[in-house]
Amino acid sequence: MNLDELIATEELCERYSVEHTFIRSLTNSGLLEVITVEKREYVHCDKMAEFEKMLRLHYDLEINLEGLEAIKHLLDRLSSLKEENLSLRNRLGLYE
Amino acid sequence: MEFIDYYKTLELDKSATKADVKKAYRRLARKYHPDLNPDDESSKKRFQQINEANEVLSDPEKRKKYDEYGKDWQHADHFEQQKQHRSQSRGGFGGFGGSQGQSYSGNFDNDNFSDFFEQMFGGGARSRGTGRSPQFKGQDFNAELQLNLSDVYTSHKQTLTVNGKNIRLTIPAGVENGQTIKIPGHGGPGAQGGPKGDLYITFKILNNTPFKREKENLYSNIDLDFYTALLGGEITTDTFNGKVKLTIKPETQNGTKVKLKGKGFPKYKKEGELGDLYITYNVKVPTNLSAKEKELYTELQKLRS
Repeated sequence: MNLDELIATEELCERYSVEHTFIRSLTNSGLLEVITVEKREYVHCDKMAEFEKMLRLHYDLEINLEGLEAIKHLLDRLSSLKEENLSLRNRLGLYE
Repeated sequence: MEFIDYYKTLELDKSATKADVKKAYRRLARKYHPDLNPDDESSKKRFQQINEANEVLSDPEKRKKYDEYGKDWQHADHFEQQKQHRSQSRGGFGGFGGSQGQSYSGNFDNDNFSDFFEQMFGGGARSRGTGRSPQFKGQDFNAELQLNLSDVYTSHKQTLTVNGKNIRLTIPAGVENGQTIKIPGHGGPGAQGGPKGDLYITFKILNNTPFKREKENLYSNIDLDFYTALLGGEITTDTFNGKVKLTIKPETQNGTKVKLKGKGFPKYKKEGELGDLYITYNVKVPTNLSAKEKELYTELQKLRS
């Protein structure tokens, strides 16, 4: 694992002014993947967009953890349906 | 520039209390927040309008000015100057201090306040965030790239100009129509030192070939003359990257499909791997038969019956 691609959770808390319990709650709910390297916790930079989204939804829209889980599930479903729709549209082109 | 009815934007009437504004804002923001409506430009625009309306109506000073000059916003500056002059002579004019409202943040472009807002309150009048001052990733940019199907048969490099910047990228062979790829770090600048956003490129692939494509497989139809279909033979046909010889079995029926393994389209991000080409035979029955041909076909028909 390349440490350059990892951001320490302490740094996230400091930069985003959030409590560590928020990150812990996201991790426990499966909404954020935390990687432990030598007893220090990190988040991969690829997961930052998802983390920021959860942060905005929680702090800006006051959506609780259960709400975040439901939203994540529905957004994932939406994304897979979009992909399926695209694939079906492209297939439909075969018969047009 | 048109007058913007911020009350209407928040679905409120003029008597709305601060609590009503907050409630209406929260209700609408939850409905139109860009994180909840990915890739929906109309929601994003609506959200920006809601944010702007809240910026004004949740701040008593701004709301007062809006209520006072709203429809005459074009003259607001003039009125303000006069008022400022009068106030200064009495010991100073406070202007607009920090916002008391709440606006939502994010990596979407909520800085796009209307010209109406800018004219009335100035560029520095907006409040930011919810009191936290996080570093936010910059805005993600979206672009569409139109290519011909033949262009994506092989991987190639292309230079794109996005927001005045040239970006050289490799377009992998086998990219699909409608597929979006992410170019990290080529979006808008981050807020408060945050990282840059990403660039998302959606490909629009125009099919300029006689082949139909489904992912890595190609499909084509070939007209087959009646005699070759009946007696068998050899034909030469086009594939995507050249010609091949095909052996036609005797008594080949109309609509018969054959698969040419590995003659399809490249598999996305699987270098050297190709899909298959499916060929459907359209048997063409002879027309304008001569008297002699008719006689012979009738003889053949008698043999079969």
